[in-house]
Amino acid sequence: MRVLIVEDESRLAENIARSLREIAGYAVDLAADGPQGLQLASRNAYDLIILDLMLPGFDGRQLLVQLREAGQQTPVLILTARDDKESLVTLLNSGADDYLTKPFDLGELLARAKVLIRRGKGQPSPLLTVGDLQINTVDHTVRRGERAITLTAMEYRVLEYLAHRSGAVVSKSELLEHLYDYNWEKFSNVIEVYISGLRRKLNDGKQRQLIHTLRNQGYTLQE
Amino acid sequence: MRRNSIQNRLIASVLLSQALLTIGLAVTGVAYTYWRLLSTLDSGMQSHALRIGALVRYVDNSNGKVYFDDSLLPPPLDPERPDLFVVWASRSGLLFRSPGWPEGLELQPGEDLHWNLEYAGTPYHALRLTRVKILDRGEGRAFRPQTLTIIYASPTSHLRQQVKAAGAYIALISLGLMLLTLGLAFAGVRSGLRPLQTLASQAGLVSARNWELRIPSKVEQVEELRPLVEAMTQMLDRLRRSFELQRQFLASAAHELKTPVAVLKSTLQQTLQRPRNNEEYQLALEHSLEDLGRLEQLLLSMLRLARAEQWAEGALRRDLEEIDIASTLLEAMERAQPLAEAHHVRIDLAEAGALIFRADPEDLQTVWSNLLENAIRYSPEGSTIELKLGREADRLEVQVSDHGAGVPAKDLPHIFERFYRGDGSRTRGSGGFGLGLAIARALVEAYGGTIRAESEPGHGTRMTVTLPADRNPVAPPGEKTPDVAS
Repeated sequence: MRVLIVEDESRLAENIARSLREIAGYAVDLAADGPQGLQLASRNAYDLIILDLMLPGFDGRQLLVQLREAGQQTPVLILTARDDKESLVTLLNSGADDYLTKPFDLGELLARAKVLIRRGKGQPSPLLTVGDLQINTVDHTVRRGERAITLTAMEYRVLEYLAHRSGAVVSKSELLEHLYDYNWEKFSNVIEVYISGLRRKLNDGKQRQLIHTLRNQGYTLQE
Repeated sequence: MRRNSIQNRLIASVLLSQALLTIGLAVTGVAYTYWRLLSTLDSGMQSHALRIGALVRYVDNSNGKVYFDDSLLPPPLDPERPDLFVVWASRSGLLFRSPGWPEGLELQPGEDLHWNLEYAGTPYHALRLTRVKILDRGEGRAFRPQTLTIIYASPTSHLRQQVKAAGAYIALISLGLMLLTLGLAFAGVRSGLRPLQTLASQAGLVSARNWELRIPSKVEQVEELRPLVEAMTQMLDRLRRSFELQRQFLASAAHELKTPVAVLKSTLQQTLQRPRNNEEYQLALEHSLEDLGRLEQLLLSMLRLARAEQWAEGALRRDLEEIDIASTLLEAMERAQPLAEAHHVRIDLAEAGALIFRADPEDLQTVWSNLLENAIRYSPEGSTIELKLGREADRLEVQVSDHGAGVPAKDLPHIFERFYRGDGSRTRGSGGFGLGLAIARALVEAYGGTIRAESEPGHGTRMTVTLPADRNPVAPPGEKTPDVAS
């Protein structure tokens, strides 16, 4: 998963980014003002945008409106110091998916970020299931039937992304774009490594293959 | 404190005047009745006396002797208390006393024509007629005619009774009227004072949530209440303004504190999310300390602003002294020097003589420092900031001019508002909290001065502080300094 944080208070942005990287294993990009945020958001495919309201250049609400007008569906989580009903209602009506008022709890921010990402992929439950494969996105555990499967952090991230888009064909570049921040190109060869590792751990003998390769198109996770 | 009721006082005064009127009327009425009755009695007595005089006749051929012919005497009106009379003739002397003349009563013709007397418990009114002609002509008329003196007295006890009855009648009627007036006065005063109660209950509805004092038209029409209503409206206006100011300050202060608190909280939470090594903990603590330092700066700035605004609103100050404005400018320049050097900006002070002003030097240094810091932040590298100090008639003027980008026209009216930042950012570029200029303005206004900004985009900004030269800003005890808050 790849997240964009638009926040001009650099210390706060850093803290959120580190938390998202370390705990949720997301790739995170940072923007410090409105124009930069808009540029990154329109150039890259993000799974979530965390947006501060008071920004130099133009403020978060304007950025949000421009994104939505451009047809961007990415879930947006607003960070705001204002907690009056009217401004929050205005925000939600402008296309925000959720908000947190400052000062907020980092744990809560992580939980809400996960929910928004899941919902953005049309998966309302934290438990992703493909056939007899179960992925718990809260504690990052994976089971196939009765068997618990231990994955590395990167393998888990690849599998979770494929599970979110289960049934669809996911290209290698899409995977890269959502798993790494803006310098993803240099990781282009590692995807095959993770995929083969995943195949090995998920199968364990006679079970059916879940990850399929479509030549020159990408991968798909389905029964 | 003694409680005092307008209603009771009004009713008491109505009653008092009513009582005076009643007493006056009763006394006049009784006196008039008495006088009327007495004069009626008097004329009745006179005609009776004359009729009695007519009973005196000459004795035939007696050379003028007279006698009283009591055979024609009319019966007394009141047999219980018959009238008394006595008749004398000028030559013949006492002629006749009325029947039943009381034993021992001597009535001699005296000086009085009318008088009152009392005999045997019965009051009498008496009159004396003199030179009454004898109607009988006599035979021959060869003698000089005699004249009569008649004293006639009539009991007046019934007259007194009548006067008493009249007095009682008047008193009764007056009492009834007084009760009626009392009722009317009570109702009148009550309804007259009702607008006051309406006003009071309307005033009771005013609260911090609802500042509007609704004045019903019935209250507005009352001439006497107009000064009160006006005073109340004005007082509410002032209260609301000051309350609004406080509320806004609190709201914006709370709002501004949220971000630094969020930063600090996120630093600590992020660190605690998983076990870390010593260097990481050390770094996190250093970051937290920095965050806390910023929070502290913000709090101190807000406190300074709140104090300055209190002074500007007229709070008393006692720590003022005569100081030289030029020296406070030099002090501020020295303080701003490190920041100026970091931005590669030069500060130029146009030399001026000593200008004495009564103030707390720390306040003025804060004003100049804040203006200088602001100018330095918006100055391009290598440019110069000009400081000018001058005196014009009764005003002292300090100007800080920079050659920066200037302030956009839409922001210019707001730059002295607290927490206002033109670019919408909290921290980037300016590095401040948006309080420096607000503090400067509040301090200048606390000394009865004004501050204004002129800016030409692309050419720079000029801030001008004007202070009143002759004004003694120390308010004498009990007297508020004039309200300079706009």
